[in-house]
Amino acid sequence: MRFLIRRLVSFAVALLGLSVVIFAALRILPGDVAVVMAGLNSPPGRVAQLRAEMGLNRPLPQQYIDWMAGLLTGDYGKSMLTGQSVTSMVVERASITFPLIIFGLLIASAVGLGLGVAASLATGNGVRTFFRVFGIVGGSIPALWGGLLLVLLFARGVGLIGLFPSQGFPQEGWGSPGAAFASLVLPALTVGLIDGASLMRYTRSALADVMHNGCMIEAMACGYTRAQALIHVGLRVIVPQLVSVAGLMFANMVTGVMVIENLFALPGVGSGLIADLGDRDLIAVQSELFMLAAFFLLVGLFVDVLHRVLDPRLRRSSEGRM
Amino acid sequence: MPKMTGAYNDNDATDEMAEDTTNSSVEPAPDAHDSDTVNATPGAIENGSAMVNASDASAAGSGSGAISTSGSSTDPSLNAHVKHVRGAGAVSRADSRDSIHRRGTVRSGGGVRGVRQGVIWTIFAIVVVVAMIFVITFAKQQAPKVKPAGKPADTVTIGLKLAPTNLDIRNQSGSSLDQALIGNVYEGLVARSVDNKVVPAIAKSWVRTPDGKSYIFHLNDGMSFSNGDKLDASDVVWSIDELMRNGYQGADTLLNFKSITAVDERTVRLDLTAPYADLLWVLAGRPGLVLDKDGKVDMKTQALGSGPYTVAKYVPNSSLTLKANDRYWAATKPATQTIVLRYFSDDNAAVNALKSGAIQVLAPIDQRLVSPFKKDTDHYVVASGDDTDKYVLAMNCAGEKTSDRRVRQAIRYAINHRELIASRGGADKPLGGPIPSLDPGYEDLNDVYPYNPDKARELMRQAGYTPAHPLELRLTYANIYGTELGDQLRSQLKAVGIDLKVNVVEFSTWLQDVLKNHDYDLSLVDHNESHDFASWANPKYYYNYDNRDVQLLYGQAMVSLNDKDRDDYLRRAARRVSEDAPADWLFNYRITTAMEKGVVGFPLNLNQTLLPLSLVKYTPLV
Repeated sequence: MRFLIRRLVSFAVALLGLSVVIFAALRILPGDVAVVMAGLNSPPGRVAQLRAEMGLNRPLPQQYIDWMAGLLTGDYGKSMLTGQSVTSMVVERASITFPLIIFGLLIASAVGLGLGVAASLATGNGVRTFFRVFGIVGGSIPALWGGLLLVLLFARGVGLIGLFPSQGFPQEGWGSPGAAFASLVLPALTVGLIDGASLMRYTRSALADVMHNGCMIEAMACGYTRAQALIHVGLRVIVPQLVSVAGLMFANMVTGVMVIENLFALPGVGSGLIADLGDRDLIAVQSELFMLAAFFLLVGLFVDVLHRVLDPRLRRSSEGRM
Repeated sequence: MPKMTGAYNDNDATDEMAEDTTNSSVEPAPDAHDSDTVNATPGAIENGSAMVNASDASAAGSGSGAISTSGSSTDPSLNAHVKHVRGAGAVSRADSRDSIHRRGTVRSGGGVRGVRQGVIWTIFAIVVVVAMIFVITFAKQQAPKVKPAGKPADTVTIGLKLAPTNLDIRNQSGSSLDQALIGNVYEGLVARSVDNKVVPAIAKSWVRTPDGKSYIFHLNDGMSFSNGDKLDASDVVWSIDELMRNGYQGADTLLNFKSITAVDERTVRLDLTAPYADLLWVLAGRPGLVLDKDGKVDMKTQALGSGPYTVAKYVPNSSLTLKANDRYWAATKPATQTIVLRYFSDDNAAVNALKSGAIQVLAPIDQRLVSPFKKDTDHYVVASGDDTDKYVLAMNCAGEKTSDRRVRQAIRYAINHRELIASRGGADKPLGGPIPSLDPGYEDLNDVYPYNPDKARELMRQAGYTPAHPLELRLTYANIYGTELGDQLRSQLKAVGIDLKVNVVEFSTWLQDVLKNHDYDLSLVDHNESHDFASWANPKYYYNYDNRDVQLLYGQAMVSLNDKDRDDYLRRAARRVSEDAPADWLFNYRITTAMEKGVVGFPLNLNQTLLPLSLVKYTPLV
């Protein structure tokens, strides 16, 4: 319990610190949304007028306080350019990015865990070689290139076997679930296969480490075969490590899939953030960044807590210290 | 027309991402991760887990210390167990070999065996990748394309590059907004034709008083907005009054404005304080748009006008869906019920969309990706249209080094425009001065500074520089134009004794540094506005170009009472500007459009600023 409280306090402090850093860093960037809005041929007075309209000429501390006050009441502000509320913008984009990540992570876990276990069990030289090659080749393919390959193979109208659409998200969004799902298949496969390969390498090495752990030997002594011991005992032992890896992978992907979103023309969180930053739509960017950072921290918090649930040793050690 | 972020019709404008794509799809990939492969092979597992631990540790900074704790707490016990187990001899042979192998290679940093293995793996990986590419390329060539027969489609999807950031046509700059909305959703008092001339729109005719200071506009009959509100003279007057009162986008181009009044329901009178030769043309753009004085919509996300289309759905930076306006007042109804404009920031993504049939038209298409469509004449039409885009290499006339006219002249002599254009695919036209062929006052000025590196070197020598003691200059431009142009300019200028430092920045940074603060030596930007000669007559613009003669000539052009006089003054002013070399005009960009064969009615000229859609029709091929 004390752990949880301590963890929550550090979470809040980290968020506050982040908000300052984000706010300050964005103000240092050269560029100005008013100049962007006014364009190339407008008279100089126009920029000042726009700045006044958008409240950009207020002193910075006041802007920061207004922003924080909004955040505390759940108001993330309005984009200066699109006039939409940042929350609705992020929700709209997340409705593409999150299914993509979850879908990708599912594929990655299926590939990673399955092949990782299989690789640990394999005894034949050829088979081991195959797994190693898969891990290395898969893990070192740049996401962009891997995505292009998948497009060339499976995209409708472009690929060898035209199975899936490769461009964009349906106009109706999740209103037409079939089409929406289909448009995520190739991007998710790209993410899943590449991250799956790294997850496989990780699983394999963790299992190899655990192979000599006492509980495995005990399990085998009790009559388990090597395979049984690995799956029933070994996997159970490495689950906490896998959870932290998967958690970080998940958090990283929120912006990490940006390249994929661009390649497949999906209007997701990452590509949206880049567009807003390019336009110097600072209110939108700072709230988006804040949400992302908060999300990242939340995943960390969740992983930590989950860790203690999954790994009894941690609980005992901290209880002992108390 | 003012414009905004990346509002440049640059078909070559690859962001770095797109460029990466091209490279990696052309060259077999492993080059980049060769070393990765070699190193990773023996120690892959250790590397992998080391990486994970590292990222754990960084996450620990934000409070997740427990992760690394668990890692380190298991390790010692593990080693202990290994020793113990070995002593007992209870480990299977495969396992012990595995652990010894791993430890060996990692500890010794890769012995002979490790190195040899690494090489083998690298070769293997390369072979696999190359084989994949071959299979894909060869198989692709035989993939047949079958199109279903059909009648005109209800929906046509058009791929474009630069998206409007919001729909507020009164406040947001940017040609992508003009492109999507003017003539489609909003209509002006008058309009522009595809050859950049003024034609009737809401006003069916007009007369000018002999002194050139008053215009009488006769409006069409029975007009209405898409919400059913009546459109008459009061809306016209209200719209222009609002524009002038609030200083909306373009208000500053409506020069000499005095007043606008409704003579009756169908007649409007506009008075000027002095004649203004560009008045009608200005009214064909944003200043002349007629909005509903009773309409209440959120201008940033909706648009309410009198045009043939209404906005059905708008997803910022992604797409804009237009539906035919059932209440459209004119006799000619839109040819297609629904038109979707989709925006692709990635050129490869756009081309894939055209190939897969997700879009029927792509404008602009990247010159380097266009050849498959050019070859496939059975299914696609590729054509280039004229445009008013001027790629302006501005030379800061008040700059420390570039204020020397000889340096600026040398730069103009040193640039080989033909080479620049050829490397971009050859569609663009050379342009020797500030006025492009679609604008009044155009004259071919390419002979003013023909390519002549010897003359350039001579001028540089007079200014005190030689290739041995080069002049250092900084070129600042936005990353949307790609890096090639900067590289080419650097190598061309190097030959005459200029050491060009290319500084590629984000567009908003360019706006701040160059446009706003005038802090630059050389700058490159695509000025796509039409009728924008005024910037050369404005000494406060970022060119810092201040020539009294040019300002007088331009002033005379603008008070001319007939087009011939106006064109004559502009021509003289343009020649004068070109001779002074405040900039080099790298080329006049021409827009290249690729579309499926069944598409008709899509305008080719100027379609990045002016895209009337009501004639666009698509009939899938039989």
